[in-house]
Amino acid sequence: MTTDSHLIKFSGLWAAPKRYFKKELLPLLADLRLAIVLLLAIALFSIAGTVIEQGQSLEFYQSNYPEHPALFGFLTWKVLLTAGLDHVYRTWWYLALLILFGSSLTACTFVRQLPALRWFTRNTSKFYTQSRQFNKFALGAEFIGERLDRAIPLLENRRYRIWREGDTFYARKGIIGRIGPIVVHVSMMLILIGGVVGAMTGFIAQEIVPSGGTFMVKNIVDAGPWAAPQFPKDWAVKVNRFWIDYLPTGEIDQFYSDLSVLDNDGKEVDRKTIHVNEPLKHKGVTMYQADWSISAVQVKLNKSPIMQFPMAKLDAIGGRIWGTWIPLKPDLSDGVSLVARDLQGLLLIYDTDGKLISTVRKGMAVEVKGITLAIADIIGSTGLQIKADPGVPIVYLGFGLLMISTLMSYVSHSQIWGLQKDGKFYIGGNTNRAQVAFEREFLEILDQIDGRSQSGTIVTTELTKVCER
Amino acid sequence: MNLVALQGVLDNFSFAILFATMLIYWTGAAFPQIPLLSALGTAGMAIANLCIATLLGARWLEAGYFPLSNLYESLFFLTWGITLLHLFAENRSESRLVGVVTAPVAMAITAFAAMTLPDTMQASAPLVPALKSNWLMMHVSVMMLSYATLMVGSLLAIAFLVVTRGQNIELRGSSVGTGGYRDRTYRLNREESPDSPGVAMHPGGTAVLESVTTTEALSPQRLSLADTLDNISYRVIGLGFPLLTIGIIAGAVWANEAWGSYWSWDPKETWAMITWLVFAAYLHSRITKGWQGRRPALLAAAGFVVVWVCYLGVNLLGKGLHSYGWFL
Repeated sequence: MTTDSHLIKFSGLWAAPKRYFKKELLPLLADLRLAIVLLLAIALFSIAGTVIEQGQSLEFYQSNYPEHPALFGFLTWKVLLTAGLDHVYRTWWYLALLILFGSSLTACTFVRQLPALRWFTRNTSKFYTQSRQFNKFALGAEFIGERLDRAIPLLENRRYRIWREGDTFYARKGIIGRIGPIVVHVSMMLILIGGVVGAMTGFIAQEIVPSGGTFMVKNIVDAGPWAAPQFPKDWAVKVNRFWIDYLPTGEIDQFYSDLSVLDNDGKEVDRKTIHVNEPLKHKGVTMYQADWSISAVQVKLNKSPIMQFPMAKLDAIGGRIWGTWIPLKPDLSDGVSLVARDLQGLLLIYDTDGKLISTVRKGMAVEVKGITLAIADIIGSTGLQIKADPGVPIVYLGFGLLMISTLMSYVSHSQIWGLQKDGKFYIGGNTNRAQVAFEREFLEILDQIDGRSQSGTIVTTELTKVCER
Repeated sequence: MNLVALQGVLDNFSFAILFATMLIYWTGAAFPQIPLLSALGTAGMAIANLCIATLLGARWLEAGYFPLSNLYESLFFLTWGITLLHLFAENRSESRLVGVVTAPVAMAITAFAAMTLPDTMQASAPLVPALKSNWLMMHVSVMMLSYATLMVGSLLAIAFLVVTRGQNIELRGSSVGTGGYRDRTYRLNREESPDSPGVAMHPGGTAVLESVTTTEALSPQRLSLADTLDNISYRVIGLGFPLLTIGIIAGAVWANEAWGSYWSWDPKETWAMITWLVFAAYLHSRITKGWQGRRPALLAAAGFVVVWVCYLGVNLLGKGLHSYGWFL
């Protein structure tokens, strides 16, 4: 109801909000002080998420942040959960800060930076024709006599671009330092936009697939509201083989999954062996090697055919173990447990009382209670993280531009004005960042114009000649 | 001499040199009239820099990978960066005050690395599988360089705060071009005497000259010590900021290629972002009207603490992707 009445009001008095936006809201958003406060506020609230454990269970917060005594006198688990401090980076107030930051960034780019660039790239109206115009410069000087024609080549040697009109000139260098900050702001906007696109249209899925199995992406853990078009529908993936390479010391070297992408008819359209740091990409969906498990063990009892028993993960302290139970009698009245720690091939055999009887390796056999138990194979399963994030290209573009533009922003933009009038030469200049370096350069230029270092000039020209040779 | 023995000598020697350098800089600040002290201080820093470079080079040879795999190596890499940036800042500002603040910090880091860290943590150890990546080496080394640069910049801001304590000052350096303008009370006569060689070169100019000397010709107004310190601090932080940006992005891109997420709000990541935000706020505060003066320097000084929390403090929490068990 209220929105409706607001809408009517807005359409009727469109001019007023527009005026409000231009005169009040935009300048406020573009205000540097707001930007600084926002930057520091985001920094401050982000700290909360690094100090308080994120995404834990209710019990965790209840036991770590009790009501009596409350931490700092107020931080009980109730306060913590109400404020959303268990998931700081997804709370409405944190996202609101980010949105405000994005708006400030956008406003600042259009209100301050682009107009400033227009001013600095316009050169025609920048000539000074009055000597008093030079009085405002901290780095300003005047000389008796004709010096204009001597000053210009000096500045050219120092890579200044020079515009001259009669007896007056304007010179500048490092305009790239003015463009840099604008690109920085644009790239930050791109990164934020890319992040939002990713959150809205991306998804994450996880699949545990035994070696040899085929799967379609089904187990979606997290998805944005518009992620549905990214879900893979017309293709499946076959895990041809999953294996682990071990170092001689027994530590894991690398996990590998040999994957085939199959179309609806079961035809292979893509194939790749993935490992950590080397994912498979297909139609915008990326599959990462993320986890592993033991799926089954294949055994032979005496002269039986190969039988496959599924291995289940057991709750264990200090490591992951998998186990299964193998009957040794047809009526299941006796059997042994097989336990494995990894895919290196060693199995531990326990009897029904939980006593370790023997160990056996893959491809070997052992005599257990009068029966020969041969291990044909241990089948691992690969844990895949499956992800689509259509925002990544935008974010990467932002990253690339941000790296270049922050470097560009290091360059200092220096400007020098000169005027020859009434038998005197006036020169003045400023720079926006490197005051110390510019002062040094400017004083050198003055000395050279002064002629005190005429010998210096000659040396330079001779050096240039040497270099040309 | 074998490489391990060489390292043992070099790390203690760097500490000794830095300790002496610190004393030289402090004496130099207390008694500016003593000659040679500033040259000695610079030499000390340069020698320390070379010693640490040799130390790291020896470890690179010994272990066969870039020496940034444990706390000991990373502390020495940090000190190397600080001494390097010190030499840059001192050369630019031509002020011996730089060493007064950078030398004690460099000394303290080497003291901690060479003496407090147990031998087991000093020894070079094989790389954890997660660190076996060129991307990661690039990420870590750029991050460490940015920490060193930002620390030196922040230290200069602290020096600036000390020099200007109790004053209400308006600075001339800023990045919108509001700086660079003349203080009206300040006038300096550049062409003092009629027989200045510059004027003598020009026949015909002599007649005008008399009037010039009386009306005070326009001449440059030099930067004060406070201005210089502030500007060098700004320039050094201005260099550290892109390095920090590149370092964070390298980490983000690597994370995305390795496990599919360029940002996961891991504590170290978040603190790198906090550091980035604090220095971004500093850079913006410099161009804000009415804020030029001590306020941005206070932010930069706070940044010094933030960089340390980002570098070591997060690992004390012992959580997240970046905990390599340094302290646990």
